[in-house]
Amino acid sequence: MADMAHLHGNTYFRVFLALCGLTVLSVVADLLSLADRRIIVAIVLAVATAKALCVMLYFMHLKFESGWKYILLAPTIVLALALPLSLLPDVGMHYYPQDTRQSREYARMQADGHTDHHSSEPTNAH
Amino acid sequence: MGLPIPNSKLGMWLFLGTEIMFFSAFIGSYIISRNGSPGWPTDPHITHINVWLGGLNTFVLIVSSYFVVVAHEKMLVSNFKEARKFIAFTLLLGLVFLGIKSVEYAGKFEHEIIPGKIPETPTEAMFATASRLQRVVDRELAAIFPGTPAADRRTEMGNRIASAGSETATTDPKDAPPAGKAATVTQLKALSRLNEAASSLENHVRFGLAMSVTPEQLIEYRSSPTPGQFPAITLADVNSFVESLKKDVELSPLLGNFHPAVPILYGNLFASNYFLMTGFHALHVIIGLIMFLVLLAMGSKLAFRHAVVVENVGLYWHFVDLVWIFLFPLIYII
Repeated sequence: MADMAHLHGNTYFRVFLALCGLTVLSVVADLLSLADRRIIVAIVLAVATAKALCVMLYFMHLKFESGWKYILLAPTIVLALALPLSLLPDVGMHYYPQDTRQSREYARMQADGHTDHHSSEPTNAH
Repeated sequence: MGLPIPNSKLGMWLFLGTEIMFFSAFIGSYIISRNGSPGWPTDPHITHINVWLGGLNTFVLIVSSYFVVVAHEKMLVSNFKEARKFIAFTLLLGLVFLGIKSVEYAGKFEHEIIPGKIPETPTEAMFATASRLQRVVDRELAAIFPGTPAADRRTEMGNRIASAGSETATTDPKDAPPAGKAATVTQLKALSRLNEAASSLENHVRFGLAMSVTPEQLIEYRSSPTPGQFPAITLADVNSFVESLKKDVELSPLLGNFHPAVPILYGNLFASNYFLMTGFHALHVIIGLIMFLVLLAMGSKLAFRHAVVVENVGLYWHFVDLVWIFLFPLIYII
C-alpha cells in the first residue's frame, strides 16, 4: 500500500505528542476565566478540529490515500449536515416568539437580575 | 480493478461514512438545540460534568489510538509479538476509558441527572425534593416490612411503634409476617418522624406556603385559600428545611446520601443529549474492545496477512477517538 511508504514511527510519535499538547491546550483554555466565553469556544473548537485533522490525516492515513477518499466522504458530509440544518430554523433560531416553561423561567431569572449558575452567560459559566 | 485499496478497507471506510452521519446527527442536533436554549446549564457544580475526568479520558483515547498505529506498524514489519502487545495495551486503555466513564455516570445517577427526572424550575425542584424525601421513607419501609403491601407499610410502622409500648428494643414479634431489616423502636420512631416531615413538606409545597406556616394554618388555608394570607414557600426555604433534617441526630443516619433537588433549566434536554452522545460513544468503545479481543484470541496465528485487519480495526478505533475529540470540548468545556 502506497500510504505506508510515507510514514515512520517517528511521524506517528510526533502526531501523538501534538495531540497530547492540543488536549492540554483545550483544558488550559477552559481554566482561563476570559470575560468573553466565545473566545474559549473558538479556541477549543479550533483545537478539536486540529486534533481531528491530525488523527484523520496521519493515524487514518488519509493524507496518503488517493482520490477515492473525496468520492467516498463528500456525500456523507453533505448528508451529515442535513439534519442539523433542518433543525436550525425551528429549534436553533426560533422564528416565532418562544413560550415554554423554560423560556418563561429564563425571562424571570433575567428580570430578577439572577447571575446564578443556571445562566449560560459568559460571566458565570464557571 | 478500480480502487487501489483492499475490499475490506473500502468496506470499513463505507461503514465509517455511515458512522460520520450517525454521530453528526447527534452532535449537530445537540449544538442546535443548545444554541436555541438560552439558559443552558454550564455550571459543573450543577451538571456534575468534570473537565478533568473528560480530559483524562481524552488522553487515554489518544494514547490508545497511538498504540493501535504502533501495533499496525509492528504487523507490517512482521513483529507479531510486539503487535499483540500493543493491541493488548489498547484493550486495557479502552477498559480504563469505560471505567472513568462509569464513574461519571454513577455521579450523574446519584444526583438524578437523568432525562425526564430533572426539575427545571424552582417550583419543580421543591416538588422533587419532597418526593425524594418520601422515597427515602419508602425505601426504608420496604426494607423493614418486605412482606407488607407498600400501601400498608406506614400503618404497619405505626402499629409496631404503638404495640412496642415500653422503650425496650424489639425486632420482630414471632407471629409477624417475614421479617426484613431489623429495626428498633427508636429507629422506627425516627422513620416515622421523617415520614411526617416528608408529608409536611409535601403539603407545604403543594399549597405553596412557607414551612413556618403551622399545620392548623395550612388546614385553614386549604378550606378557604386566600392569596397572600401566609408567606409563600421558596426553594431556599425547602433547602434549609432539608438541612435541618440532616442535622437532626436521629434522622441524619437516614439522610446520609440525600441531596435536595436542584433546578436545572434545560436539564432534561441536556441529560438526553449527554447520555445519547456519550452512551453511543461508549457502545462503540465496547465494540472496538471486542474487535481487539478477537485479534488477541488469534494468538500466535496472527500473521502478515492480518495486517489489513489490524489496519481496519485501527481505522474504526481512530474514528471512536475522533468522535471523542469533538465530544470532549462540546460537552465538557463549552
